[in-house]
Amino acid sequence: MKRSVAKRLWSERVLYLMLFPTILYFVLFRVLPIWNMRLAFYRFRTKSAWTFVGLTYFKMIFGSPEFFKILQNTIIISLMKYVLLFPFFVIFAIMLNELRSNRFRKYVQVVSYLPHFLSWVVIAGIWISMLSLQGGWNQFLSFFGIPARDFMTDRTVIRWVLFFCEGWRSLGWDSIIYFTVIIAINPSLFEAAQIDGGGRWVSIRHIIFPALITPMVTMFILNLGFFLNAGFDQVLNFSNNAVLSTIDILDTYIYRIGIQNGQYSLATAVSLVKGVVGMVLVFTTHIFSKKMTGSGVWR
Amino acid sequence: MKRKSTRDNFLQLVLIVLLGFLTLTMIVPLLHILAKSLSAPEQSIKMKGLEIFPKNFDLINYRIVFSHPILMASLWNSIYVTVIGTVLNMLLTCTAAYALTRPKLTLKKPLMVFLIIMMLFDPGIIPEYLVVKDLGLMGSRWSVILVMAVNVYYLVIMMRYFEEVSPAVVEAATVDGSGHMRTLFSIILPLAQAGVVTITMFYAVVRWNEYFRASIYIMKAADTVLQVILRQFVVLGDTVSMVGQQNIFNYNDVARMDYSALKSATIVVALIPILLIYPVTLRFYARGALAGSVKE
Repeated sequence: MKRSVAKRLWSERVLYLMLFPTILYFVLFRVLPIWNMRLAFYRFRTKSAWTFVGLTYFKMIFGSPEFFKILQNTIIISLMKYVLLFPFFVIFAIMLNELRSNRFRKYVQVVSYLPHFLSWVVIAGIWISMLSLQGGWNQFLSFFGIPARDFMTDRTVIRWVLFFCEGWRSLGWDSIIYFTVIIAINPSLFEAAQIDGGGRWVSIRHIIFPALITPMVTMFILNLGFFLNAGFDQVLNFSNNAVLSTIDILDTYIYRIGIQNGQYSLATAVSLVKGVVGMVLVFTTHIFSKKMTGSGVWR
Repeated sequence: MKRKSTRDNFLQLVLIVLLGFLTLTMIVPLLHILAKSLSAPEQSIKMKGLEIFPKNFDLINYRIVFSHPILMASLWNSIYVTVIGTVLNMLLTCTAAYALTRPKLTLKKPLMVFLIIMMLFDPGIIPEYLVVKDLGLMGSRWSVILVMAVNVYYLVIMMRYFEEVSPAVVEAATVDGSGHMRTLFSIILPLAQAGVVTITMFYAVVRWNEYFRASIYIMKAADTVLQVILRQFVVLGDTVSMVGQQNIFNYNDVARMDYSALKSATIVVALIPILLIYPVTLRFYARGALAGSVKE
């Protein structure tokens, strides 16, 4: 029995050779870092061995009000990006489908998918200038008599700036999945609804919307796994000293204390907390989704 | 019947206005940046955010960008990292996807579980930083290239494309004595062409847009990539180290310079490769969605 497994593995040796570079990559750049996470329990030394300090850094984290403020920011920004923004992808897909002109629809698609491909640095560059006092957005608002304001340094609106720019970037691209579901619906269903005297709203409510529920649930669950991320790249590039306290999230905090201040152990401890919570979220949603829809986050 | 069609027309009008406005928020900022970068400094400095045509057409901003030593070095580094990085991405992704899609692979299940854990658990930046340091990759472009060698998402998408290739074709090749590598390169890759092009484009975009790892692992301005310099200049507003005293004196028309127009020109340079790749990506990836709109 054992020999036959060994035989099978030997006969597949070329395949494992093909997998080897990929496995090596993950061992070097994922498994080793995970092993390095033990640093959360040690004091870092450059030259000598690390010294074990137990839960010192975790006590520091959970004893600091700053951490809870940052956790709160992370949760609020995540809720805005993953819950509040979410329906707009669906609405956008339905609106696209309702358009009668094919050429106009294609134009909207080609334009709205583009921002997804721009780097956050470029997007930040564009919006910092658009939202400045002399920028295009203030000029647009002035047509309606609304006085100019500096959005990027205004603590009261900066989270909405994050929300709208995230929407601006992902509205088109993230709606593709819903749009492809809609166009795959059997046209005879719509014809039947029309013969029954139903208008567009009836079709949307009773044919399109039910078809979209499964992909909506799937996407929602997938996003939950990244709940504590809240979009590091965006926040890093959109933040400045005036607004930092309102949009400082876990990942920017880790970056600041770890890379900029060199507090390696403390930063690793925060990463560990974040990683564990993230895993718990993923596994919970996996179990929930398996019970509810029959399929989990994976398989 | 007639009342209903006027209502329908009204609805179409509302949709066109709404979606049209939305696309303008995407087009106008890009055109404004282009227009600003192509204008003479005396004019560009006074330009308002909604102006989308160049005033007093002038290439001075691009002359500065393309003669700036640090910008040019970072542009070459970006091209280097993108090309070498994408080739490495595709080599690993294709070979791994091929092996993992062979129907009878004994260790398939444990390997997939391993990959999914690797995808879900993020060890954070410091533990990774220490590994890069220990491997002696600090300061080298290879740090950025190697640290992002495989993306599990793209690997899984590639597996989907490979699974669509008919097993009968693969089997016929095997019977004819084709080895795995030959089967992958001469049978699977051509048949899964749409997937290969799509994933190549995705990787290339990620590579070109990468700035974070480069900003941590590569310290010298001359060794880093364009996005890092762009971030320093445009986002952090660091005009001194970017343009630099001695660099400024190289230009006779120093007095004429407008930093915001120079920033615009740098953004345009960073955008060009993306705009070149974009139509190809649309053709292969979003083909379904775009074709659906032609149908009806």
